[in-house]
Amino acid sequence: MPKLIIDDQEIEVASGTKVIQAAEQLGIMIPRFCYHPALGSVGACRVCAVKLLEGRLKGVQMSCMIDAQDGMVVSTTDEEAVDFRTHVIEWLMLNHPHDCPVCDEGGHCLLQDMTVSGGHGIRRYLGKKRTYQDQYLGPLIRHEMNRCIHCYRCSRFYQEFCGYRDLGALQSANRTYFGRFQDGILDSPFTGNLSDICPTGVYTDKPSRFRGRRWDYQRSPSLCIHCCLGCHTIATGRYREIVRQEARFSEAVNGHFICDRGRYGFFYANHEARPRRARVAGDEVSYDQALQALKAKLAEISKRSGPGAIACVSSDRSSLETQAVLKRIGRMRGWRNFSGFMPQGLAQKVQLAVARLEPALSVSLRELEGADFIVVVGADPINEAPMLALALRQARRKGAAIAVIDPRPIALPFDFQHVAMVPGAISLGLGLLARGSPDEAAIEKLGPPVSDFYAALPTPEVMNASDQKRLSPLIRDLRSSRRPVIVCGTAVGPATVVGLAADWALLLQAVGKKAGLFYLLPGANAFSAGILSDPEDTFEKTVEGIENGSIKALMLVENNPFWQFPDRARLEQALARLDLLVVLDYLNSAAAQQAHIFLPTATLYEIGGLFVNQEGRVQAAQRAHSGGIPIAQSGGGGHPPRIYGAGVPGAEPRPAWRTLAELVEEVVPPDEARMQSEVGVWLAEEDPRFADLPPFAELPEDGARLNHKRDGASRFLVNWTAELQKSRGFDDSFELLAVDWTFGTEELAVYSACLKALERKPGLLMHPDDAGRLGLTDGDEVAMQLDRGTLKVPVGVVANMAPGVIVLPRHRLLEWQRLACGRIRLERDRIRKAASPQGPKP
Amino acid sequence: MPSNYPQVLFQNRKPDRITTLEEYRQSGGYRALADVCKHWSPKDVQQEIMNANLLGRGGAAFPTGMKLMAVAEDAPYPRYIVCNADEMEPGTFKDRVLIHADPHMIIEGLILAGFAARAEEGIIFIRPEYENAARILEREIKIAREAGYLGQNILGNGYSLEIVVHRSAGRYICGEVTAQMNALMGKRPNPKVPPPYPTEKGLWGRPTVFQNVDTLACIPHVINNGAEWFKGLARTATGGGTKIFCVSGKVNRPGCYELPLGVPLREIIEEHAGGLPPGSEFKACLPGGASTRFLSKEFYEIEMDFESLRKVGHRLGTGAVMVFDHKTCLVAATLNLIEFFARESCGWCTPCREGLPYIRDLLRRIEEGEGREEFIPMLERMSKHLWSAYCAFAPGAVSPVEGLLTYFEDEVQEHIVQRKCPLK
Repeated sequence: MPKLIIDDQEIEVASGTKVIQAAEQLGIMIPRFCYHPALGSVGACRVCAVKLLEGRLKGVQMSCMIDAQDGMVVSTTDEEAVDFRTHVIEWLMLNHPHDCPVCDEGGHCLLQDMTVSGGHGIRRYLGKKRTYQDQYLGPLIRHEMNRCIHCYRCSRFYQEFCGYRDLGALQSANRTYFGRFQDGILDSPFTGNLSDICPTGVYTDKPSRFRGRRWDYQRSPSLCIHCCLGCHTIATGRYREIVRQEARFSEAVNGHFICDRGRYGFFYANHEARPRRARVAGDEVSYDQALQALKAKLAEISKRSGPGAIACVSSDRSSLETQAVLKRIGRMRGWRNFSGFMPQGLAQKVQLAVARLEPALSVSLRELEGADFIVVVGADPINEAPMLALALRQARRKGAAIAVIDPRPIALPFDFQHVAMVPGAISLGLGLLARGSPDEAAIEKLGPPVSDFYAALPTPEVMNASDQKRLSPLIRDLRSSRRPVIVCGTAVGPATVVGLAADWALLLQAVGKKAGLFYLLPGANAFSAGILSDPEDTFEKTVEGIENGSIKALMLVENNPFWQFPDRARLEQALARLDLLVVLDYLNSAAAQQAHIFLPTATLYEIGGLFVNQEGRVQAAQRAHSGGIPIAQSGGGGHPPRIYGAGVPGAEPRPAWRTLAELVEEVVPPDEARMQSEVGVWLAEEDPRFADLPPFAELPEDGARLNHKRDGASRFLVNWTAELQKSRGFDDSFELLAVDWTFGTEELAVYSACLKALERKPGLLMHPDDAGRLGLTDGDEVAMQLDRGTLKVPVGVVANMAPGVIVLPRHRLLEWQRLACGRIRLERDRIRKAASPQGPKP
Repeated sequence: MPSNYPQVLFQNRKPDRITTLEEYRQSGGYRALADVCKHWSPKDVQQEIMNANLLGRGGAAFPTGMKLMAVAEDAPYPRYIVCNADEMEPGTFKDRVLIHADPHMIIEGLILAGFAARAEEGIIFIRPEYENAARILEREIKIAREAGYLGQNILGNGYSLEIVVHRSAGRYICGEVTAQMNALMGKRPNPKVPPPYPTEKGLWGRPTVFQNVDTLACIPHVINNGAEWFKGLARTATGGGTKIFCVSGKVNRPGCYELPLGVPLREIIEEHAGGLPPGSEFKACLPGGASTRFLSKEFYEIEMDFESLRKVGHRLGTGAVMVFDHKTCLVAATLNLIEFFARESCGWCTPCREGLPYIRDLLRRIEEGEGREEFIPMLERMSKHLWSAYCAFAPGAVSPVEGLLTYFEDEVQEHIVQRKCPLK
């Protein structure tokens, strides 16, 4: 622990701390451009110069490059150091265009701050300024190279931190250029961070360009709800709309960065088509009229058919408050309460994951970066939760071995071992990996159930030679690892894998490894939805109930089965049978449009809310603005916007929990303050895992983990005979997997116009062997025929996926629900080449 | 005029063609390798080179023995030995002459250095303008391989080495070792301040030893004749061996001269390079390439050795002596050098990337008669601050500027006062 003196203040720091960091701990902010805590020290900009007065090194040195050492005496204010730093600023400003008035970075620009505070005012250089050509980098980032001060942060972030190659430093000397080989959309799904890390205005946020200055904006701590990770964001509100979103540092979750889906996914909240008025039978009515109509209708059905004929369905994108209130009133009124998870078997997998995530196993996203062996099973990080891919890359950069066992074509920005197996075989692969890893003598000593579990694990013979060959290096890496982590998805694998993942981690812990478990869940609040929904009542059962007439009324709270439910035809028929369809939502979804009674709800930007991420971390988003139609829309573009009336236009949407509370006032008071103080108590009543949480108003920055309970009963229960059966796949048919992509399949982010250009062209993906057998080549148009309908899609032939499965994105441009797909068998003769409309080409 | 000094590196140099393997062998070539393969351990080779006081000839004058010893005995494999033939220092042309004179001397030196470091892969990193030299090396490496000096199990010793010739993409900074390392790995050739040192974590994270062409060429002679003999070649106590001086500029016989370290500057210019042409007077010279400071007339008698120049605040650099006469404008000469350095900066750090074009602009204005009094302190401050750049490039680049301001400030003043170049 070196002790040093900086500007007459003594400080003791951890060894390996750089002088710039040590100074920061004392509250002394040494100027910096190239240094960034996530990207490290490279000594390029030279603006962090200090003078070392005592110690082994002396003189003007860069504080980012020097390790703090015992006996060091550092001066940040020494004349010589200050003179050098001033000179560096002068050099950096030689070619800078001084275009702050028209630059979006103006007002929160590090270069601007350093120039002003460094005292550089008059440009003495008499030569011409250097100019560059700017590039088109896609819809998210605006490029203005003339402003560049060559700190290399962008290329280091883009290439070293993220692992993408298409943006970086080109040319040399004072012509060094940061950009692409040629104009084009950036490959990386993390590009928005360029605008956060650029110390000046080279990369600025394109969608919010010219919308305002930093001081015009109301910036509030918020959360990303576009996947289950719960990354921290800063939502920027102005004139009743969200203008921009930035990454917010989180020690436990996302670090300094977020992905582009999370950053730019917010446009649904401003969308022109967003429903702002309540509707009854398709006619806009006042909120109170709709509420009264709903009360009357629910009372009538309850009286006629009993409260059990009313079903309410929650959602994994609703706040914890909404889920809690829905659960409470449903239970008190005797309504049936259903899981909002739509794909077949998903509810079961989520609930299993939630049950098996023990505190001793759980690792956070940031802890994952410290693992030395990671096996990802049944998950596609970049497509399901992009920031997971970035965390995996950091682990890889530190030397971790990473393997993915998944049937899909997996692409990740680092080298990894992909074992592409049919979903049914994943548990077998994992079982083999478990058998090969620990030392048998230690297992024997542990006794049952661990030893029994280990003894029952499959042996290599159950697997074909090529898969065995791909698994054996993983076994070697796992044996030598000390901190192995299993990342387990819930999207494509069977439920057994979810349980087996926890068993795997338990087994490794039992033999002395610091093993961790990291689940991926299907939505931002899937964790709490998993706890709160009834394990037996899946959405399938809701549909069955409607079909058999036992359910007369359906209340969908921020849920849209038209997006998620994998059988469109059946859904449509079922909904048509209902006496009452009620939808509470902030999206103008197909369900909302068909609702008999519709009540608009507010988004998290207008009310804030609590969300529980996939590791059971309860985190709070603050309100970013107080609602209403964006002024840009309500004013019709005129300035000042002239709308007469006392209220705020478009401010009718209320938090969903509040509407629910108003519906059943005697159960839950519709009062924000009481809600705040009581929701914790209600939740603890619903499930003990919600007990012991701090009051929600006092949640720390990084939230608080739920009180997971050890689930001893479901440990080590794998029926390997059944697993062997499943692993065989189907000889005469395919398994059709509906999957998520980074862009184009997430329900909220598809409202963002700027993200549309980033979507890959949706199509069917299959292995070359399968394509060969069907006589298909890459790019062919195929018609897939199923009992429920036909889908025409282009086919993509990719080698890095499992044979025997075909992959179809749940893309907004595909009516994939028409195929009634889930994990279903699809006979080979159901796929054929679509007749070309022009006839055969000569 | 044939030199009276012993010719070691140039012993086989011919006016019209390169030395063949057979001719090199007849002069004692590959005897050192045969000897080493039979009787020496890598440690012995390292120690002999250390004792010989062989200093790196690329310009930094780092003891070669010490560099070889820096590779830890238990360091991982594969290890690399790199011959730095990226000769881009302006005024320097010794490597090219050596390669064209006696390529096997370099190849043998490379094998011996590789043996000392237990390197399995040798790389000759050569500047692309030296295409002929690269082809010669490739051809001669093949011949050496066929003769059993390269490849598996060299001369029955069990030691194996392969050599490839790698053509640089062509930038001055690629001559800097850490930048060269990045270039070889297919990255941008930005220097990287050690630690880790290349001898610990070099190419692809493995121990790598970089040596200049004529450093390597010295090694067979050190082994053959012993450290004491080698030290005795120098005229000063701190030197070791001969040095190839590349003399250019205002002299009658520009060219490469192999002379003992410590030979006086006057002797180099007047005896070996034939003196200045009639009507020319010595005004200044650069002693070791473009990144050294001007030596004015007061240093005319100085002994040209690493140590003696260092003592008076100068550097021997590559030993490339560029001579300027009294009719040459040193502002223009400095501007010419700065043009080169401003172009060749890698662009990594601010002082070098932005400071050199700034200096170029000021010098250009002074030379064109637009100079102002305040430019001189600006140049002084800028030169001083360029010493705090990331690597040694910028301090080298400002050396001529510092020399100009130290010894020829009057000439700069004249430009400003007369509002034109007084020598035009």
